[in-house]
Amino acid sequence: MAASVRLLVRRVTRLSHGHVTVCPSGPSGPSGRCCWAPSSCRCFSDDRNTHFGFETVPEAEKAKRVYKVFENVAQNYDVMNDAMSLGIHRLWKDTLLHVMNPQPGARLLDVAGGTGDIAFRFLEYIRSQRERQRRHVARSMQALSWKDISDVYAAREGGEDGPRESRAVVCDINKEMLKVGKQKADSMDMSAGLSWVVGDAEELPFDDEQFDIYTVAFGIRNVTHIDQALQEALRVLKPGGRFMCLEFSKVRDPVLARLYDTYSFKIIPVLGEVIAGDWKSYQYLVESIRRFPDQEEFKRMIEDTGFYCVRYHNLTGGVVALHSGYKL
Amino acid sequence: MAFGCPPDKFSEAKCNIPPPAVAAPTATNPKCSSLRRGFHCAALRLQDESKPYKPPTSSSTTYHEHYQAHSTEQDTTAASQGGAAADPAEEEASRPNTSYQDQSGEQGEEYETEEQLQARILAAALEFVPQHGWSMEAIAAGAETLGLSSASTGMFYNGAGDLVLHFIAQCNSQLTEILAEQHKHVQLGQAEPKKTADFLRDAVETRLRMYIPYIETWPQAMSILLLPHNIPDSLKHLSTLVDDIWFYAGDRSTDMNWYTKRAALTGIYNTTELVMVQDSSPDFQDTWNFLDNRIQDVVNMATTAKQAQATGEAVVQGLMGAAVTVSICFSDLVHHLYEFLFSRLFHAHQQQSCTQCLNQYVRSTDLCF
Repeated sequence: MAASVRLLVRRVTRLSHGHVTVCPSGPSGPSGRCCWAPSSCRCFSDDRNTHFGFETVPEAEKAKRVYKVFENVAQNYDVMNDAMSLGIHRLWKDTLLHVMNPQPGARLLDVAGGTGDIAFRFLEYIRSQRERQRRHVARSMQALSWKDISDVYAAREGGEDGPRESRAVVCDINKEMLKVGKQKADSMDMSAGLSWVVGDAEELPFDDEQFDIYTVAFGIRNVTHIDQALQEALRVLKPGGRFMCLEFSKVRDPVLARLYDTYSFKIIPVLGEVIAGDWKSYQYLVESIRRFPDQEEFKRMIEDTGFYCVRYHNLTGGVVALHSGYKL
Repeated sequence: MAFGCPPDKFSEAKCNIPPPAVAAPTATNPKCSSLRRGFHCAALRLQDESKPYKPPTSSSTTYHEHYQAHSTEQDTTAASQGGAAADPAEEEASRPNTSYQDQSGEQGEEYETEEQLQARILAAALEFVPQHGWSMEAIAAGAETLGLSSASTGMFYNGAGDLVLHFIAQCNSQLTEILAEQHKHVQLGQAEPKKTADFLRDAVETRLRMYIPYIETWPQAMSILLLPHNIPDSLKHLSTLVDDIWFYAGDRSTDMNWYTKRAALTGIYNTTELVMVQDSSPDFQDTWNFLDNRIQDVVNMATTAKQAQATGEAVVQGLMGAAVTVSICFSDLVHHLYEFLFSRLFHAHQQQSCTQCLNQYVRSTDLCF
């Protein structure tokens, strides 16, 4: 309740932005924990517009159009990622995991996770951490006497059921993307500890305080109401939980910015047409990147929602920014 | 504070600045109370999830008592006051409880509260150090004790280094409190002032005894402190420690002694610490014997240095006297030689030779040979 009061106070003091991104959803504002019927919410906001790339569309339509974009690109999503970023997106996602540094037993929620890249990396990381721990324990047991070793085994059998297992939940609004992800998991044989859930980032189908880490990689700019998504993130995180967001952002350096713009607008849609046969989806992609708030603005939005210790790292000169906040 | 700042000869004030570890927990900020209230609201959620775990150290125990008082009374005022009475690190909670205020000044207050939370997590993490070593796992276990998810360990960019440095700062502030107590007793006449050697010995022993619960993993902590990015912080803590001990030992020197004393004590402390991690005698008796011997060495060296200095001064004075005498004789001789040469050059009728001149000189001056 306190969080929502604080948020509304801040909205009143900030009446206008340069962007059209933050659209208050009127009297049926976020009421924290209770679920309101989606239809009643939408009819209040029908007359509000939002951006879809460089177009302006009614809010109700944006979600549908985004859904269609990702339905079209789902099959070639990974291939296109590699082609457009020249494989660098793998480094970005690896950096996300290194900064996250998850401890064994952590539960991850990957929203707009689509094809599951982050979830796979998370499980790999946890697995190697566990291996390291086991090796450490084995090494410390090497110089023990027979009595000590038998004591350890007795304790292990009679005592607790071992450390908690880490779980990763991939949530996406788009069934096609989840299908592709599930196929990938089965082919890589990594289905253990993974769940695939269909859900809207603005209304997550989970109870409060379920997850240790919430990540959203390259998905939050497609959400109609970013602040609602942030509030849902705050809701489902445990106290001490971490919110991490990997997203395209503003490039500071002017030379790099010019190159990046040329590359984005001239080359990416062409690649989209050639590889995936879909110019418009990739035009939407680069336009939506331009409409997303920059690093400082997004950091302020995260802080307004109620996260603490909010920081961001720029990757590749600002092309991608990694924002992180804690629910304390 | 550090070795690099020699004291001012004319200042009567304490030579060193109190170490930041002591200053930080007691920093009071009136604006903090509103956010702390919000924090306590968050804490109400946490107390349902915290396990009934009774850690041995005082700070974590009072934290739990603080939360349990919370649950029974549902009164933030009483809980914060109860917490304040028991835990010196949470003094600022003893201010009168205010109503939920506007948080326009949030930005500065947040960081103060975050640091306090980090300090609490690290204090809780110390319990798990014997089990997990000085590592992120210990910090994660500590965070879980407080009811926070293990993901909050991401706040500690330095990881294990943060934990070790926090522990060192805590030990230093405990030592300063003990030394201040003793000093107060001496001032009030309740105790006899100790000799310097005994004082140093007791101070170093007290400080090193704080490592005893973690002595198994202490070599790991020492190696973490030697990592390049941790060296400035660990040196700062060491120099603060040594400075404090010498201050309470009564050192008010303002010359080269300030440096030599601190350098000597640093050497003693470091070598004793190294002996302690390899010591297997009962109650570390070998270590304390080693400490005694090193302090004795330094004291002996100090007296020898004083004696050498006195002797040296006497020798120098004797030499100076002899040199003055010799120089007077020499200048006389030179004067006569010039006279002879001058007469030879310009008054050719004087047929004296050099030796005759010398003989004349000797007879005339009747020197003190």
